[in-house]
Amino acid sequence: MTIKPNAQAFLDMIDTHKGIIYKIANSYCKDKENRKDLIQEIIIRLWLAFEKYDPTYKISTWMYTIALNVSISFYRKEHRRHQINHSLPEVIHLYEQTEVDDTHVAIERLQLFIKELKEIDRAVMLLYLEDTSQEEIAQILGITSTNVSTKIYRIKQQLKQKFSTINT
Amino acid sequence: MKNTDILTIWKSYDQKLNENLLLNRKNAEDITKIKVRSFLTSMRPLKIFAILAGILWVVFVDTLIVLLFPVASPFFLISAGIQVLLTKLSIGVYLYQWVLIELVDIDEPVLTTQERIAHLQASTLWVIRILFLQLPVWTTFYLTQSLIESGGILFYTLQIGFTAGFTLLSIWLYRNISYENRDKKWFKLIFNGIEWNPIRKSMELLDQIKDYSTVRQ
Repeated sequence: MTIKPNAQAFLDMIDTHKGIIYKIANSYCKDKENRKDLIQEIIIRLWLAFEKYDPTYKISTWMYTIALNVSISFYRKEHRRHQINHSLPEVIHLYEQTEVDDTHVAIERLQLFIKELKEIDRAVMLLYLEDTSQEEIAQILGITSTNVSTKIYRIKQQLKQKFSTINT
Repeated sequence: MKNTDILTIWKSYDQKLNENLLLNRKNAEDITKIKVRSFLTSMRPLKIFAILAGILWVVFVDTLIVLLFPVASPFFLISAGIQVLLTKLSIGVYLYQWVLIELVDIDEPVLTTQERIAHLQASTLWVIRILFLQLPVWTTFYLTQSLIESGGILFYTLQIGFTAGFTLLSIWLYRNISYENRDKKWFKLIFNGIEWNPIRKSMELLDQIKDYSTVRQ
C-alpha cells in the first residue's frame, strides 16, 4: 500500500521533531509501557490535527501545544492502561547508553527533579529548557509573557534548591 | 548551580537523544492508516446514551405521576416528583459535559484545554451529589395511608429512623462532596480506588490552573 502524500509529509515532520515528542512523553510518564502508549497517543492526535495545521504558526509551537495537552490529560487514560497488559508496538525507540558518566548522572537528576514539578510548572520548565521564547511559551500555554517570566524564575529557584540539597 | 548549568545539562540530553533516538517509520505509518477516535470523542456516545436513557426515565415517571395522580398515595407522588426532578438535573449535567466535549480542542492553548477537560472530569462529582440526594425518596415512595394507620411502634421507629438518617446523610454528602474537601479522610474513603484517580487528578489540575489564572490572557 502506498503512503498518501500528506502522510509522507507527516512522517517526515515526526522524524525531524521526534525529540520533542519523546522529551515531553518522558517527562509526564514514569512507566515504560505507559510512555509507549502516550507517545502513540501524541502521534495519533498530531495526525488527526495535521490537516488543520496552519503553516503561519511555527511547527514546533503547534507540536508542543498538542503534545503537552495530550500528556497533561493522560491521567484520564492512565488508570485504564493498568488493566491492559498487552505490549504496544514502539514508535520512537531510545537506544540506552550503557556507560554511566557524570553527564549521564546530571541528566537523570535533572529529569527526576522536572518530573517532581506540578504538571503546568513542568510544561513551563520544559519549554524554557527547549529554548522557546517567552512569547511562544505564553502562546502555547495561554498566559501572559509577564506571567511566564515570573513562573520561570520561581521554578528555576525550586530546581536550584533541589540541586543544592544533593550538593551539600 | 547556575541557570547555564541547567541549560547545559539539557543540551547534553538533547545531543544524547539526537544520537540515540530512532523513529520506527513502519509503526508510525500504521498510525496514519488506522481510523481512530479521540478519547473525548469516544466519550460522546456514552453521554448521549445517558441523556437519552434519562429522558426516557423522566417521561416514564412523569407519565406515571400524571396517570396515578387521582389514586396514588401522596407519599408516592411526592417521592416520584423529587426523584424525577433530580434526574432532570442529572440530565442537565450530562448536557453540560456534552457541550464541554464539543468545545475541547487539543490544539488550543494548554491552560484553556486543560481547564475544560478538568471541568469535564470534575463535573462527574455533581452527578454523584445528585445521586446521593435521591436517597431519602427511596425510603418513602412505598408508604400508603393504610400502612401508616396500621403501623406499630417498631414500624414508626424504623421508618422515621431510616428516612431521617438518609435525609441527613444525603444533605450532608450533597453539601460536602466538593473540590474543597478533597483532602478530607471521609472523601478519600468514598473516592478510594484507581477508577477515581482521574477525578482526583482533575481537581489538582484545577488548583494549578487557578494559580495561573490570576494573570491569564
